[in-house]
Amino acid sequence: MMSSLRSTTFRSCAQRSFQLYVNLVRQSSTESAKEIKIPRRIKRGPTDVLKALAATVTRDTTAPHYKYQDDPFLTPSSNVGKRTFAMAKESGKKAARWVQNQHPELFQHKVSFPFIENYTPITVYDENSAVDENTLKRVIYYAQVSDAIKVYELLEQKGINVSGSTKQSFLEMLCFFNCEDPLPEEFLEERWFHLSTKGREKLRKTWKDNSLAEKIFLSFEQKDSKAYSAIIQGMTRYCQAERAWKLYEECLEKNIILHTETYNSLIRVVHFLKEGFEHRWKLVQELLEEMAKKNIHPNVGTLNAVLEAVSTLPNQRQSKEYALRTLSEFKALNIQPTLASYYFLLITFCKQRGPISNILVEIMDTIQGQEFSVQDPKDTYFFVTAMDVCRNHLQDKDLAYRVDELLHTGNNYILIGDSYKESIYYRHFFVLMCTLESLDVFMDLYRKIVPHIYTPEPAVMEEVIKTIDMNGAMEYVPQIWSDMVVFDHVERENVVTTLLDSMARNKLPEESELISQFGNIAWDIWKRQEEDVEEDRYRQWRWTGQILGDMMTLLLRANQFKESCIILDKLNRSQQNIVGVPRVEVLQLFLDRCIQEKDVKAAIGCVQYSADAGFSDAEQMAQKLINNISLDEGILARLSNIIGKNLSKID
Amino acid sequence: MAHFPKYMTTVLCIPRYQKQLPYVMTSVYSQIARSEKQTEEFRVLELVKKSAQRSARRKAKKIELLPPRTNVMPVDQDWSSVWPGPRSFHPASVPLPLRQGYNKKGVSPGKFANAELMKIPNFLHLTPPAIKKHCEALKKFCTPWPEELNDENCEKHFPVEVITSDYCFSSPDIREPMARIVILKVKLSALTLDKHAKDKLLRLVGERYDPSTDILTLTTDRCPLKKQNYEYALYLLTALYHESQKTEPWESEKTVADMEYYDWEQNVSYKNVLGTLNWPQSVKDTENFKLTPEMEEYKKAISDLMNKGEDLYTISKYKEATKKLLNLPEFLPLEYTTA
Repeated sequence: MMSSLRSTTFRSCAQRSFQLYVNLVRQSSTESAKEIKIPRRIKRGPTDVLKALAATVTRDTTAPHYKYQDDPFLTPSSNVGKRTFAMAKESGKKAARWVQNQHPELFQHKVSFPFIENYTPITVYDENSAVDENTLKRVIYYAQVSDAIKVYELLEQKGINVSGSTKQSFLEMLCFFNCEDPLPEEFLEERWFHLSTKGREKLRKTWKDNSLAEKIFLSFEQKDSKAYSAIIQGMTRYCQAERAWKLYEECLEKNIILHTETYNSLIRVVHFLKEGFEHRWKLVQELLEEMAKKNIHPNVGTLNAVLEAVSTLPNQRQSKEYALRTLSEFKALNIQPTLASYYFLLITFCKQRGPISNILVEIMDTIQGQEFSVQDPKDTYFFVTAMDVCRNHLQDKDLAYRVDELLHTGNNYILIGDSYKESIYYRHFFVLMCTLESLDVFMDLYRKIVPHIYTPEPAVMEEVIKTIDMNGAMEYVPQIWSDMVVFDHVERENVVTTLLDSMARNKLPEESELISQFGNIAWDIWKRQEEDVEEDRYRQWRWTGQILGDMMTLLLRANQFKESCIILDKLNRSQQNIVGVPRVEVLQLFLDRCIQEKDVKAAIGCVQYSADAGFSDAEQMAQKLINNISLDEGILARLSNIIGKNLSKID
Repeated sequence: MAHFPKYMTTVLCIPRYQKQLPYVMTSVYSQIARSEKQTEEFRVLELVKKSAQRSARRKAKKIELLPPRTNVMPVDQDWSSVWPGPRSFHPASVPLPLRQGYNKKGVSPGKFANAELMKIPNFLHLTPPAIKKHCEALKKFCTPWPEELNDENCEKHFPVEVITSDYCFSSPDIREPMARIVILKVKLSALTLDKHAKDKLLRLVGERYDPSTDILTLTTDRCPLKKQNYEYALYLLTALYHESQKTEPWESEKTVADMEYYDWEQNVSYKNVLGTLNWPQSVKDTENFKLTPEMEEYKKAISDLMNKGEDLYTISKYKEATKKLLNLPEFLPLEYTTA
C-alpha cells in the first residue's frame, strides 16, 4: 500500500544552482542587500528521520507482541496459547515454502526489485545438474550444508578439480555444522521457542566420526594450519575432546602454528579431558603458555574460554581466586570482558551451597548504563543468571531493579536470548518482588507486565496468592481469579487450593461486595469441573475435601445455600474419590444454616457425612439438630442409626 | 424386585449394551458419575436407534478471553506509544466512549463493529503531545533560521520555489514512479522582462501562467529520475527567459489578429470613425491624423471596453463617448425610439 509521507518544499537549493537568480534579483533591488548567512545543511542518511521518529515510541505494555493480532478475541494470553499462535503462524510460512519447493516451475517469475535470493525455490542438485566450482562456492556462501555435500560428490564423480581454498572453506563449513543442515534463519519462532522443547540437555559428544569432514581433512596432501584449526575447532564444538587433543599434539610435533580460536576451543573442553582440579588447571595453563610461546595474541574468546574452564573447577576457593586473576590479567591486555565473562563469574562465585558473594553488585557498578551487543553465544545467559542470583542467592530487590534497568537500556533486550530464558528471568523477578516489595508496588508491576510481556506459571501464581493472603489484601483476588481463568490455571489443584484457602480464611466485613464475588468464584470452580467438561478427555483434576470445604464456606457466606447443598451431596456420594475431609467448622456452619433454613434432608446428609468421616462432633451435631427442629419418629430413628446411639430431644 | 434379574438378562442380551459394559469398567473416575446415575434409575430400552442420542455432540471448548485493552489502560499512559502511526480505528484499543452513525430510533451506534468509524480517517497518531515529541526528535536535524530573512524579503532573495515528493511504502519493488515529478514556481515580477519579452514569454508558456497570482508553474516529469527532471526544469526556465529576450525576424509579421491587446488605431473601428466623420470625403492619410478630444475619449472608451471586458461602467462610458462623437443629444425624443 502506498502512502505519501511528505512533500518537501524548499525555497532554495540555493548554494549551488540558484546563485544566478539571487544575483539577478539583488542587482535589481534598490536597497543594499545585507549578507544572508545560510547555515550549512546537517547531513542525514536516508532513514535518519524515520529512526528519530521511531525513537519517540516506547513499548506499550497493554498491547500484545506485534507478532500477534491485536484483537481481544485473537490475542493469546496463556503460555500455551502464545506458543501455539506463534508456531501456527510459522507453520504457515513453512507450508508456503513447501509448496514453493514442490512446484518450483510455478515460481520462476521475478517480482521484487532488487532481487531477493531467499524467495526463490531451492535448487535441487542431482546427476543432471551442471555443477562446477562456482556452484560449490555459492552453496558454501549460503551455508546450505546438504546441498554443498551433494555438489561436492557430483564434482568428484565428474572428476572436476576443486581448488585448495574452496576445499578449505568447504571443510570449515562441514566442521562448523557437523555435516548437518542448521535450522533456517527465517523460522524465527522456532528458534525463539526451541529451547523450551529441546530442554537443557547435558552436553554430550555429537561429533560424527568418520564423517565427510574428516575425509576431506585427510584428503589434503599438505595439512596446513588452517585445516588443522578447522578440524580441531569442529571436534571441540561437538565435544569430541580426545581426538581433538590428539590432533593438537600432532600439530605440536609438526610445529604448526594454530589460530587463536583453536586454542580457545581447546580450553573450553578441558573439563572433558581431565578430571580433578589440579589436572584441569594445569592443562589450561599449558595451553596458555603454548599460546604465549608461539606469540599468539589472546582475544575476548580466550578470556571467556578460560573463565568457562575455571567455572567447572571443583575447588571453590581457588577457582574464585583464579577467575579474578584471569580478569585482571586480561584487563591489563586491554581486553574488555563481555556479558558472558560476567556470567561465568556469577556461576563461579554464587554457588548454591557456598558462601554468599556480593560480586553481582560490583559487576552492576561496572556495567551500569552500558549498551551491549552479542559477542559470545553465552552472553544471553547473563541476565537470567543475574536475576537468579538476586532472587536466590542475595534476595536483594534494588539490585534486581538495577539488572532490569540494564536490560531495558538501548538495545540490550535482545540479549535475553529466547522465550525460555525470558520466562525464567521474569519468574525470578516476580517471585523476588512478590516477597520483598510492598503489595501495592508489586501489583503495579503485575499489571504492567502481565499478561503481554510475561504470563506467570502456576507456581508463581501460587506465590502471588500467598503474598496477597499474607497482606490480607482480598480486593486483588477477583483480578487474580480472572487472570487464572485466562491463563488456563483452573485445572491446577495446588493453585486453586491456595486461592480457596486464602479466600476462606480471610473474613471480610459484612457489607463487602467481595463476599458475593467470592461466592461466584467458588461456584465457577464447581461448574468448570463438574458441568462444562469433556468426558472423553483425561482430566488431572481430583476433588479434595479441603477444596470442597472451602467452597462450601464461601458459598454459605454469600448466602448461596442451595449450591452448598449440592456440594455436600457430592461429598456424601463420592467419598471414595475425594481425598481428605473438610474442616469440621465448615460442617458446623452448614448445619447451623440448615437449621435456619429448616432443611431437614440436607441436615441429615451433613450429619451422615460427619459420622462417616469420623468426626467426633457428629453426635453433638445430631443433638443440636434434634434440639432445634422438631423431627418425626422415622427421622429420629435414622439419626440414631447414624450416630449409633439413642437420641432424644433435650431441652 | 422379582422382575429385576429378568430385566438385567434381557438387557445384557442386546449386543449394544454388551459392548458398553467393558467401557464402563475400564474408565474409572469420569464414568463413575454416569454409572451411578444409571444404577439409580431404570435405563430406558431403545430398540430403534435415535440419531439424536447416538452422537454426543462435542461441545466446543469455551475459550477464555481477555477483556478489551481499554479496561486496563492507565489514565496517564503514553498515548503516542499506543498509537504511533496512522491506523484504521480499532475499538478495543481506543479508550473513548465514541458513538458515530445514525440510528432511526435510538442512540447512535457504539464504537464496536462500527464501519463508519473505521471508514473515516482518524488522527489519533497526531495528538499535540505526539507532535511535540516528534518536533523535539527532529530538532537535531534543523539549523536556525537566518535572522535577516523574514516574510517580505524571502520572496525577493529566493524567488524560485521547487516542489518534490518522497514516498515511503511497503512493496516488492523499491521504485515509485510518482517520485520523479518536479514542480518549479516563479513569479514573473522577479524576472526583468520588457513588454515584448513578457508577451513572448506568455505566448510560449500558455496555460502554465496564472495571471491572478503572477506565478509561472513548470511541471516536469518526462525524465525517469528526479535529478534529471530538476535540471530540465532549470534549463527550461533559462531557455524561456532568453528566448523571450530575443526578437526573431518573423515576429514583424504580426497581424491584427495576433495582437494580444486591442489597439484602436490599427483596427477597423478607427477607419470607420474617420470615414463616418469625414463623410462624404474619404481619408487617405490615416496615419498622421490628429485626433479631436471626442475622438480621444472614444478611443479610450472602446479600448477599455475591449481590453478590460464588458461591464456596466465600460459600456456606459462607451455609450457616452459614442454620443459625444456623433453629436447625439442626451435624450432622444420619443418619436425616434422604437416602441
